[in-house]
Amino acid sequence: MNKNLVGIAAFLLAAFVLVPVVIAATGRWDLYYTLTSVALLAIGSAGVWLTFYIGRINIGQGAYALMGGYVSAVLMTKVGFSFWATLPLAGLFCAGISVLIGLPILRLRGVYFAMITLVLTEVTRLAALALPVTNGAKGITSIPLPGSLSVFGITLIPDFATMANPKLGFYLLAATLMVLSYVVLWRIVSSRLGHLCRSLQQNEELAASIGVNTAYLRVLTYAISSFFGGLAGAVFVAISQSIYPSSFAVADSVNFMLYCFVGGLGYVTGPMLGTFVLYFGWDLLSIAKQYQLLVYSSLMIAMMLVLPNGLLSLFDRKGGKK
Amino acid sequence: MEQILANGLYLGAQYALIALGLTLIFSLMNVLNFAHGQMYVFGGFVTYTVVAQWGLPFIVGLVASAVILAVMGALIEKFLFRPVIRKSKRDESTMLLAAGIAFFLDAVILLLFGEKQRGVPKIVDGVFNWDMRLIMPYDRILIGVLAIALIVGFIALMQYTKAGRAMRALAQDRMAAQLMGVDVDRYSMIGFALGALLAGLVGGLLVTITGINLGMGGPTSVKAFMMIMIGGAGVISGAIAGGFILGMMESIGLTVLAAYGDITYLAIFASLMVFLAFRPQGLMGKPWG
Amino acid sequence: MLRRTLLKTSALAAVASIAMLGTAFAENPVLKIGFVGVTSGPAAAWGTSNQRSMETRAAWINETGGYDIGGTMYDIEIVSFDDQKDPKRAIAGMEQMAQEGIHYVVGPNVDDGAAAVRPVAEQNGIMYFPYAFPKELYTAPASNAVLGMVANYQSGPAIYKYLMENNGVKKVAFIAGNESDPLSQRDSGSAAAKALGLEVVSDSVTYQMDTTDFTPVLLPVIQSAPDLLVLSGVSPANAPQLIRSARELGYTGLISTETAQDAAVLQEGAGELANGFISVGGASTPELASDMMREFVERYTAMFGEYNDESNTKVYALEYILATIAANPAALTDVEAFKATMDTFEAPNPYMVGDAKLKYVGTTSFGQKRQVSVPLVVNVFNNGAFETMFVAQVD
Repeated sequence: MNKNLVGIAAFLLAAFVLVPVVIAATGRWDLYYTLTSVALLAIGSAGVWLTFYIGRINIGQGAYALMGGYVSAVLMTKVGFSFWATLPLAGLFCAGISVLIGLPILRLRGVYFAMITLVLTEVTRLAALALPVTNGAKGITSIPLPGSLSVFGITLIPDFATMANPKLGFYLLAATLMVLSYVVLWRIVSSRLGHLCRSLQQNEELAASIGVNTAYLRVLTYAISSFFGGLAGAVFVAISQSIYPSSFAVADSVNFMLYCFVGGLGYVTGPMLGTFVLYFGWDLLSIAKQYQLLVYSSLMIAMMLVLPNGLLSLFDRKGGKK
Repeated sequence: MEQILANGLYLGAQYALIALGLTLIFSLMNVLNFAHGQMYVFGGFVTYTVVAQWGLPFIVGLVASAVILAVMGALIEKFLFRPVIRKSKRDESTMLLAAGIAFFLDAVILLLFGEKQRGVPKIVDGVFNWDMRLIMPYDRILIGVLAIALIVGFIALMQYTKAGRAMRALAQDRMAAQLMGVDVDRYSMIGFALGALLAGLVGGLLVTITGINLGMGGPTSVKAFMMIMIGGAGVISGAIAGGFILGMMESIGLTVLAAYGDITYLAIFASLMVFLAFRPQGLMGKPWG
Repeated sequence: MLRRTLLKTSALAAVASIAMLGTAFAENPVLKIGFVGVTSGPAAAWGTSNQRSMETRAAWINETGGYDIGGTMYDIEIVSFDDQKDPKRAIAGMEQMAQEGIHYVVGPNVDDGAAAVRPVAEQNGIMYFPYAFPKELYTAPASNAVLGMVANYQSGPAIYKYLMENNGVKKVAFIAGNESDPLSQRDSGSAAAKALGLEVVSDSVTYQMDTTDFTPVLLPVIQSAPDLLVLSGVSPANAPQLIRSARELGYTGLISTETAQDAAVLQEGAGELANGFISVGGASTPELASDMMREFVERYTAMFGEYNDESNTKVYALEYILATIAANPAALTDVEAFKATMDTFEAPNPYMVGDAKLKYVGTTSFGQKRQVSVPLVVNVFNNGAFETMFVAQVD
């Protein structure tokens, strides 16, 4: 337990102090955006990981990221909401929609659930193209930067447009959200809910037969998962100040899933690590020029052969084999 | 009306052939092969290279695609999927491997064959025109017939040969098959090779009609996923049914809904989701495939 | 033992060659120009032709001693970033360009990417040359984006008008892929056609980008019996299939598009059925190409094995960047100087015969000069090659 606390403290220190200091010292300002992306994508994969936790392969997180992005964009540009108000609303909207969608489709399992969520991503893209409120193919552009956030007259967060370095602002925002998401994730896993989820993952019929309300549990976890997706999407919109139906596509949904696999499905911090490794890996491999994708995919296959249970399985005690 | 049906049949035949390979691999190894679309593209490019670049007859290209893809499939099963399935704690881990292979093939295709759209010259000229009610180019008819012939051949293979029986036994119950003396490793490899071979054949057939480019892999996989969902994953007849149903839906939907603009696919996808909500295992699938 | 000597010699050779490279490059300072676009995955063709034409031109310049800017010869280095057609990656690419101190970037290739990189480009003082058409990118208050080609809302009306007057076209139909770029182009094309007094008989049919059989898609369009079928924003991969299906369905009217196409792809994919297909291209047809254009095509082919006709329109952005900086060397590091120069900049167009000029345009469409002036060359495909139909200018 103590060891865990030290680890968490070290991580917080690294994320909120070390990273800005190192970036300021080395002048690698571009790392802020990369790390911001990693943090946001890690929030999305945290959601995917949670659905894995109840034994469902979720390839539909891109759909909720897109929905969250559109909710935030539409509320800001058409209704005039502040970004800070749209952020939780985007998450809640996605959670609400996911309950409606989840009720029928969560009855599916295995590859059926995987494939239907994949289709859901495509449905969302097509819906964004067809619906009038999203401005269709032309997307929503020129979205303002997040304004200031004040409670009782005290300014908590300054206006991003007046910041000397909005990149740092976005980074801190994303990192904070990520830390909060993973705290929630960790709480869920170590709570009674987590135990129940594990029972679902192992044997749904058995869990139901001993009185676990499986339907309720599935929808609840799926809603939390989608909330994370919506949150990530909304912040991305604030950074790019634009959103198009293709902003989150099937490729993103697949990537969210891959991040979870690479990190390891058995570990709460797995998706975070997986996101970090895969995202940074791609950037680092740009030195391989036209062989970038070749090297990237080869490494992925090689990793799968050596560590099929994810990177974190490296730290497992010996004898943990199946 | 005749035209819509004919279009649907033609689309269905090619879709069913794509779905067959995917469902075969799934039924044998419980692997959702994300790389299936890329294998199809690879097969198309092989045929293109043999026919358009080297000037050899079409049938040679088709055979070359089939052979190369079969070998590729066998190697992928033996050296990649088999060890990973053995070592991993959860079945789903193979999805990452499959996705990695899909990326890898994408990269290889780009490096080997380039980024351009490719096509081979028409193998038969002329258009069948029945009084403007039914218009179908001859090459399309030929490819459609060939596709149906291949489907029939595949079913015959599965029904009447020793390897086919062994694979069906494997698909039904891996453990039982093993106990009955079926060489599981060997037939898994043959099955995977056969699945890849089918993908290569479709690629080779379709390159004469639609051409091929490296972008077609991913979307083809997604479409194939939908077909096997409709029919039921891991069931041969389901894949065939799914292919023809999707083909018909597209053909009818595009004609009926054309006036409403961009919603044909939205409608197809949405109805698929509703359908699966009521029948989670597809038309003919085993529950919880 | 043998291995060790081998290692030693190869290490030595490597050091020697690096040293030699160093001296070779040390003669000229290096000017880095960025490229952020898609060079892998389904849309690889768009970015690849773009990146390759830039690299061909850079290698050519470096081989002939560099580019003269204010009396100093600069070697040109192209820094490329593959954004995988993902707007989120495109932002990362733009950040990387800013990190490398690059002020001039070609790309991104699509609407969503171009919109997404705007904040980064404006914060870091980067001029970028997207191949995307949304007007808000180029109209004030935006000022860092320069449209790298002719937009479809400019070329479309010119083509329709020409065909109205010369071919008696009255009824026009539009078909587009179900994606942002093609749909936007269809909408603006359809509006332009109506403004010209054409009857739009069909503009609601769309297709998925992965369609393998276009017959059912085209059936309702052909039944509406247009004189002209416009393939809005069609990708080079889909164009031959669409043409082929339309012809096989018995369509005899004209077919046109406002995007650039590749002759070899059309020939392979549709053969003689593609004869008469009208598309927008660069000045590489025999009637218009200068010796420099021909040499560019030769060098491109030598470097990459096969030429891509899409590159005709994509050779210009780099040329514009370099020529504008040469006209005002202060623009090397200061994009405000670049913007100021844009208003008056003019230079001869080296890729075209005659007295065509390189200059910035766009006042009519965007209210400010934020578009490169490339000749609007409308080509018609005939037996495996493009022929020039007519040439127009955009203002």
